[in-house]
Amino acid sequence: MLFPSVQFAIFFPIVLTVSWALMPKPRVWKPFILAASYLFYACASWRFVFLLAGVTLGNQAAAVLIARAGNERRRRLIVAGAVALDLGLLGVFKYYSFFAQQWADVAGNLGLGSTLPLLTIALPVGISFFTFQAISYVVDVKRRAVEPASTLDFAVYLSFFPHLVAGPIVRAREFLPQLKHPRDPNRVAASSGLWLVALGLVKKVVIADFLARTLVDPVFAVPKTYGAPDVLLAAYGYAAQIYCDFSGYTDIAIGLALLLGYVFPQNFRSPYRATGFRDFWRRWHMTLSRFLRDDLYIPLGGNRGGRLLTYRNLMVTMVLGGLWHGAAWTFVLWGAFQGLGLVAEHALAGRLRFPGWLRWAVTFHLIVFGWVLFRAQSLGDVGTFLSRLSVPASPTLWTAPVVAAIVLVVGLQLLPPDPLERIQVWIERRRPVFMGAGLAAVVAVAGATVPSQGVPPFIYFRF
Amino acid sequence: MSASRDDSLMSRFDREGLRRFRARDAVLAILLAGVILVLLEGGSVLHAGEEMKPGVGRSLVLAVGRPTNAIAEALPLARAAHTATSWLNPERNLSGPGGFTTLVAGGQIPPVTPAAFTPEALGEAPPTRHRLKRLLVTGDSMSMPLDADLAEALVEHHVHVNQDPHIGSGISTTFVVDWGKLAAAQVKTDHPDAVVVFIGANDGFPMKGTEGREVACCSGSWAAIYADRVRQVMNTYRASGALVYWLTLPAPREAARARIARVVNAAIQVAAQPWAAQVRVVDTVGTFTPGFAYRDAMTVRGQQTIVRQADGIHLNDAGSSLLAGIVLGQLQQDFSY
Repeated sequence: MLFPSVQFAIFFPIVLTVSWALMPKPRVWKPFILAASYLFYACASWRFVFLLAGVTLGNQAAAVLIARAGNERRRRLIVAGAVALDLGLLGVFKYYSFFAQQWADVAGNLGLGSTLPLLTIALPVGISFFTFQAISYVVDVKRRAVEPASTLDFAVYLSFFPHLVAGPIVRAREFLPQLKHPRDPNRVAASSGLWLVALGLVKKVVIADFLARTLVDPVFAVPKTYGAPDVLLAAYGYAAQIYCDFSGYTDIAIGLALLLGYVFPQNFRSPYRATGFRDFWRRWHMTLSRFLRDDLYIPLGGNRGGRLLTYRNLMVTMVLGGLWHGAAWTFVLWGAFQGLGLVAEHALAGRLRFPGWLRWAVTFHLIVFGWVLFRAQSLGDVGTFLSRLSVPASPTLWTAPVVAAIVLVVGLQLLPPDPLERIQVWIERRRPVFMGAGLAAVVAVAGATVPSQGVPPFIYFRF
Repeated sequence: MSASRDDSLMSRFDREGLRRFRARDAVLAILLAGVILVLLEGGSVLHAGEEMKPGVGRSLVLAVGRPTNAIAEALPLARAAHTATSWLNPERNLSGPGGFTTLVAGGQIPPVTPAAFTPEALGEAPPTRHRLKRLLVTGDSMSMPLDADLAEALVEHHVHVNQDPHIGSGISTTFVVDWGKLAAAQVKTDHPDAVVVFIGANDGFPMKGTEGREVACCSGSWAAIYADRVRQVMNTYRASGALVYWLTLPAPREAARARIARVVNAAIQVAAQPWAAQVRVVDTVGTFTPGFAYRDAMTVRGQQTIVRQADGIHLNDAGSSLLAGIVLGQLQQDFSY
């Protein structure tokens, strides 16, 4: 069930109404919201509901065992077992086909018989997100950052439908305390929630899908048929599209949670304003960044082992972060590119001084280049795409709406944040009834821009 | 990446100055949005329900959609909203004739035309190969990334390849797009020399028969209606002067879908019969799923290669590339480029 769909437009008002009606009775509310979340997930594929339930029970059992374990060694063993199981699941569902094919190619070239059956396995929606949240819970319990929750609370945390399929990756210590007591029905950030839902819809349906349809998809599908101006515009266009698509999803998720009384962490903070790679990762998919930092980079040793080990840890973290996005060499390359950017920044820190505008311009264009690696279908397509940048041709896709959309998306992030934030706060202080009417107007106008084949899934649903 | 703490991500909604409301206000605001949308877009719910595959979800959406549609139709607001926002719609205008709903009932024995015979069948020399200038590749999601592969292969031969996929559409459903009308619009605007069609992933919907009754998939009657529709689309393309390459469906993984695909393939073969000289049915079954038995992987250029996507329906990049080679081979028999 996509957020921008008729099914969800029927589902959510019912869930919202019943949720607040049951909120004073947590014993009834929790099973209700769990059932609603599982129903939401079952609409994508009912079979994988069992997988979600299995991940929940497995990690909850591990958390309980960790809490009961007498010594640190035992706790560490149980965490390792749980994380291995979670990553194993992720490996089977997300990476098996990829690695089996790579092995078959290598084995074939060496004249060896392939020992792995070549199978395609359906990817459960949201598996990358809920397994990471399960890992973060088990790790937090091991670190004594949270107490093991009740099985019901943990199940609600893992499956809560606003974040279930594409994040943000909410830490157990952020969400579980909110489940301890019923949410206060007199302190709901209702207008903020409605504003974020409307904003997310505009970002996704009006801007991201428009750019995908008219510019990005045609050029990335067959870059060979376009010259430098169109290819260049498509690179900028994809930067704008992926931001609007993913941050639009996040806005809707955070907004829906707010309407239900829950707060999610922020996931984006004007990422194209960044003046360096480190700065970019503090602004882009912030909940993944801190997961990678806290649960991969720091356990690897972080920056504690000297310069070379820091570089190694950065590269490993970012390559695995790239691979997390999907089973393809393009994602590995994108992760390696991000890692190299971070390493270069570390290596050059304090040695070179550039004005802020230059640092921004270099960072922005390197990030856009990175998105080309991320979006291309194959490494061959990356080469074709980049080679077309040297082919002069007249622009065929430079239309005023396309250019305006890209300039708007990037330009708004470059404006000083304070006035924009003040406008946002002013909007969020309006009465919810006006915001509701506004949301309806936004849905009607955004809906008119949708082609007959409907709203395509969010990009991050595939991850 | 710094190891410093940066976990103030939860503070956005705790800051000073943010106004809090009652939960009742949130519920009322959402319900108000719902009421306004029923008045402005009430028909969309029914429309969305009709697009869904039969099941509980569809029944529920239709149960909501019927009254909302009735309300929207009874009041002038939906029409006004549609008029005010129609300029935003990115779809091409398909308001002309030629839709499936106007498909004429049978009853006459259609005359056999010379187009039913290939020159080879008559022992004649093959016709002169014309230069391929414009190729249209269309269909549902099955036609992707085949369209890109063909464009990639033909661009250096200066063949203009128009990629026109219509995701979620089908011959048996007119909700997303009416292929009868779409085909007419495509030949009018694209003027293709050849058309490659790969469609059927979403088929299996009930269709209205000539007597006005709904016929459920996948009886002989359903296959006959499907073949009639396919024949209408083929006729539109071939009557414009284009050669048509209609691809059959490789067997999907799921048994229920495989049943539909088998009937769809049979209907395609029947639909093409009157125009053997202008319509080629390109078999995918023999290549990808011999004996109509599903398989994920096969030998490609001596290497075991996965050729299907994880959904068990679509071809992946390797499979699509292989299919593109087959289609290009067929195109080369009829055209030079």
